Amino acid sequence: MRPGEIVLEHASRAFAVRADPGRTLKATLLGRRAHGPEPVQALDDVSLRIAPGETVGIVGRNGAGKTSTLRVLAGIVPLDSGQVDVGGRAVALLELGAGFGRDFSGRENIMLNGALHGLTREEIEGRTEAIVAFSELGRFIDAPVRTYSSGMFVRLGFAIAAHMDADVLLIDEVLAVGDEAFQRKCEERIAQRIAAGATLVLVSHDAALIERTCARAVVLDGGAAVFDGPVADGMGFYHRLMGTRHEA
Amino acid sequence: MAGVAELLRYRFLFEQMVRRELRQKYQGSLLGLAWYVVNPLVLMGAYYLVFAVALRPGFHHPAYPLFLLVGLTIWIFFSQSLLAASTSLLDQGALIRKARFPRELIPAATVTVQLVTFLVVLVLVAVLTVAVRGTLDAPLVLAPVLLAALAAFVVGLALMVSVLHAYFRDVGPILAAALVPWFFVSPIFFAPADVVHHAWARDALTWVNPVAPFITATRDVLYGGVWPSATTVAYVVIAAAVALAAGLALFRRMAAELAVVV
Repeated sequence: MRPGEIVLEHASRAFAVRADPGRTLKATLLGRRAHGPEPVQALDDVSLRIAPGETVGIVGRNGAGKTSTLRVLAGIVPLDSGQVDVGGRAVALLELGAGFGRDFSGRENIMLNGALHGLTREEIEGRTEAIVAFSELGRFIDAPVRTYSSGMFVRLGFAIAAHMDADVLLIDEVLAVGDEAFQRKCEERIAQRIAAGATLVLVSHDAALIERTCARAVVLDGGAAVFDGPVADGMGFYHRLMGTRHEA
Repeated sequence: MAGVAELLRYRFLFEQMVRRELRQKYQGSLLGLAWYVVNPLVLMGAYYLVFAVALRPGFHHPAYPLFLLVGLTIWIFFSQSLLAASTSLLDQGALIRKARFPRELIPAATVTVQLVTFLVVLVLVAVLTVAVRGTLDAPLVLAPVLLAALAAFVVGLALMVSVLHAYFRDVGPILAAALVPWFFVSPIFFAPADVVHHAWARDALTWVNPVAPFITATRDVLYGGVWPSATTVAYVVIAAAVALAAGLALFRRMAAELAVVV
């Protein structure tokens, strides 16, 4: 695999939909399953080849399998069947503020998040100032993150993810939280990373953002890829699927 | 599957996890580390009162408080590590859902935090015991080997209980309940050799409980100033290797779905 390359082959993955994912030994030994809806097929035989440097937007209605696709590409969730291969370092920005220790300062969380992605202390220290500057947190970088607003959360989260030298950037609908100026800055940073050879996979309901950022669109519906092609055609397909006309 | 190279790549993550937990553990607790010295001392006082003063058993160990203290320190490390490990993966669910990294690091970091406290307390206990008992002798060279084996043994069991508890939420409570009788059959306030009338009970207390040889061997070295039997040392080393290998095997078999279940 070349760094930045992504291959999904006949990828399938189902999730049990229950309030409490943990089972008890008693339930297992008695062979009883918790009651609940049938498992949801989040990915249903999806095949996808993405070359290094491509920018791919994934769209689809709620529950179409967009986030599951990102979680599979990030290596966080395994497939039930099929194959996934991602070349190089994949960095995912999935949940707002996920993995932040709330009682720790922004600076300490930069350390932990860098370490989570397999960076060494020297590598993280070398880019801490760039991350702090990008996040525009100023002196708040040394305050516990529990005092942060949601905008500050997303700024720090994005700043960290954008400075991990990712070969593959996986971003899920989190940019919308920042203000317009910060969103623009994020898009510029993403463009820089792409120019440096990184691959982008972006999940968003923001059609304009996808059209601005991505050259290729994949439309998911019911866990299956129903369209894969140039972004303009893809968004047209998506709007017809949703029964909406979007005036830009 | 995490190979050695991948674990090495994530050694800074491991360090970060240990630091964070250490800080969280001691932050906001008035006594801090002192609590971990006070706890075994209070237990020791209570057991001394019950077993040496009230019950007056048929066996006698000189400087009995020190005899108790060595066993108690090991037991507290063993039991606290497993209890903390059982919920460790759920506690760190946010990290598991965020990135791909060797999940083994989480219970291993939890045990390491307990190990740091344990070593501080054990050094104090060991210095006191060796000074009072005059056991500054050749068998002490075995102490590092025994402690390394104990740490490996506990990490192995911690891997098992942590991943089992993530899937089956009654593993933690079952463990907590099991630790109470387990404490009483462990040779903490007695030595298995004290049981003179029932050979089968002595053998069971010596060999069936895998914690017993660790306590017996360490106490031989620190408190007795004698070499533990070769069988005991072999048992300890093999138990550590088996627990670690089985723990890793079970953990890696079950770890894939962790981001979904925690």
